[in-house]
Amino acid sequence: MDTEWQPRLARGFSIPLVATLGFLLIVVLMLVVGGNFVRSVVGQAFQDAERIRSTRMHVANMVNQQLDEETGVRGYAVMRSPIMLDPYFGGRAALPAEFARVRKDLNELGMQSALPALDDAVATNNRWLHRVAFPMILAHHPHRSVELRGKVLVDRFRRDAAAIDATMAQRAALVNARAEASVVWVGGFASCAVLAVILAAVIFTVQQYRLTERLERERLTLDRARRRSAEHAAAYEAEKRIADILQEAFSERLLPELDSVQFSATYVPATEQTKIGGDWYDALQLPDDRVLVVIGDVTGHGIDAVVAMNKARQLVIGCALLDATPARILARVNLELVRARSPIITACCGVVDTRTRELEYAAAGHPPPVLLEPGCRARLLDFGALPLGVTTKVEYRTRRVQTVPGATIVFYTDGALEYGRDLASGEAALLAAVELVGARAPADAARAIRDTIFRRRKVTDDVAILTLRLSEKTLPAASPRRIA
Amino acid sequence: MNDHDSISVVSLGGELEIGRKDEIREALAAARDAESVLVDLSAVTYADSIALTELLRFCVGAQQDERPVALVIATPQFARLVQYAGLSEAFTIFDNVPEAREYLGARTPR
Repeated sequence: MDTEWQPRLARGFSIPLVATLGFLLIVVLMLVVGGNFVRSVVGQAFQDAERIRSTRMHVANMVNQQLDEETGVRGYAVMRSPIMLDPYFGGRAALPAEFARVRKDLNELGMQSALPALDDAVATNNRWLHRVAFPMILAHHPHRSVELRGKVLVDRFRRDAAAIDATMAQRAALVNARAEASVVWVGGFASCAVLAVILAAVIFTVQQYRLTERLERERLTLDRARRRSAEHAAAYEAEKRIADILQEAFSERLLPELDSVQFSATYVPATEQTKIGGDWYDALQLPDDRVLVVIGDVTGHGIDAVVAMNKARQLVIGCALLDATPARILARVNLELVRARSPIITACCGVVDTRTRELEYAAAGHPPPVLLEPGCRARLLDFGALPLGVTTKVEYRTRRVQTVPGATIVFYTDGALEYGRDLASGEAALLAAVELVGARAPADAARAIRDTIFRRRKVTDDVAILTLRLSEKTLPAASPRRIA
Repeated sequence: MNDHDSISVVSLGGELEIGRKDEIREALAAARDAESVLVDLSAVTYADSIALTELLRFCVGAQQDERPVALVIATPQFARLVQYAGLSEAFTIFDNVPEAREYLGARTPR
């Protein structure tokens, strides 16, 4: 059982398993690649946002430092105390670094569009220094126009700074939007991955379920087939046993033991398998010193053949007890067999008067007897009519043959004749065997004839042979009984 | 010889065995309703009991319907076999086709 099972199991398993594993592998790869992509996008966005935030701080610083400068100058102009210039100098010292820092950041962020504003802011600061700060520090009473110009320049500087900041703010919004989009992507991707895994799990489960079902079905089919074949084997065994028993029961072949006639018989089934052949023979004593001999052959094998054979056998004996005329026996048996739709049966029926040594016989589709008389060649007697069980419109004829003391009459079935399908050779072999054995007159003449025929050949069909040898003495026992 | 069309001819040849049972059956079944049947077995050299049974049942059936049947048997082997089986007493047998036709022609109505 297991040897039939395992390969199927392995083969059945691999298809959904491999498909599901492949699917999962693709999902994992996609997750890795997509995750990396999302990570880099989000990372970049955070980095940019941070950079923008720090740049904007520096822009604010720029404005503050400029404010410090301006505050210092204004204070000094009012108080004329050098301490008031501290913020101014602080602002002047810090501003170039702030400018450089903002420029660098703008370049690195790829925001060259804001550079003109920065340039303008630098230039404006420069102009403010030269046209406003220096004159206000150096002159004791700077002209009112200087203050006005200073206001204009400071405003311009702040506009520039505001412009840079606005650009930065714009950029920050963009980066934020991109980061948000990335987050949406991440969410979508994660959802897809979860869906994919669920799908894979469902597919795998369904496949597994189907596979289990299929395997179960196959196992059931296999079981059924095995049970059926076991049943068939058992049925065959049973039929064979029944047929064997029937055959044993039916083949109880007791031959009469008489002084006037010596009987011998043999039956060989073609092979062990077809032991239940349809051949049979019978020999029994009738009143008035007569003996009945029947030999027959049912077409087919098996129980049907054995049953038909037995029926024919009982019919022949029954009819013979009513009226021991061969043709009438066959005619009566035939009527019953046709009526019962029996398989076709061939038979030869003979009645021998042991006193007169006259043989009466009739054949129904069966080879006629062989007669061997001392000093003569063996010869085949005349043929008969149609087999039994075919039609009621058939006329069997009783043929009469006067034999002599010491004569041998051989009844047989066609298995003894089938000489490689060449009937002429088969006949010749049978006649030769009868002559050869008849000359020695052994007790088991039938077996000797069979052995002679099949000395160099295999038995291909059932073979039954029955011989009668008429005594050479002139009937001391029969005559008194007849007188009495 | 006057009405060949109403004579149905069944031709079989070679060795008729159990293996050819269906073929034999079909060939004979084709002539089941013919007015008269010529079974040409001139090329048959052997027949086992199964094939003989088929032939026998066919011929008996035709006889019961009173439809003339003629067998043509030419090979000596098969002729002997037919004798053993008792067919030669029951049916009309010829050793050539023309004679069988003549026989059937004379017996076929119209």
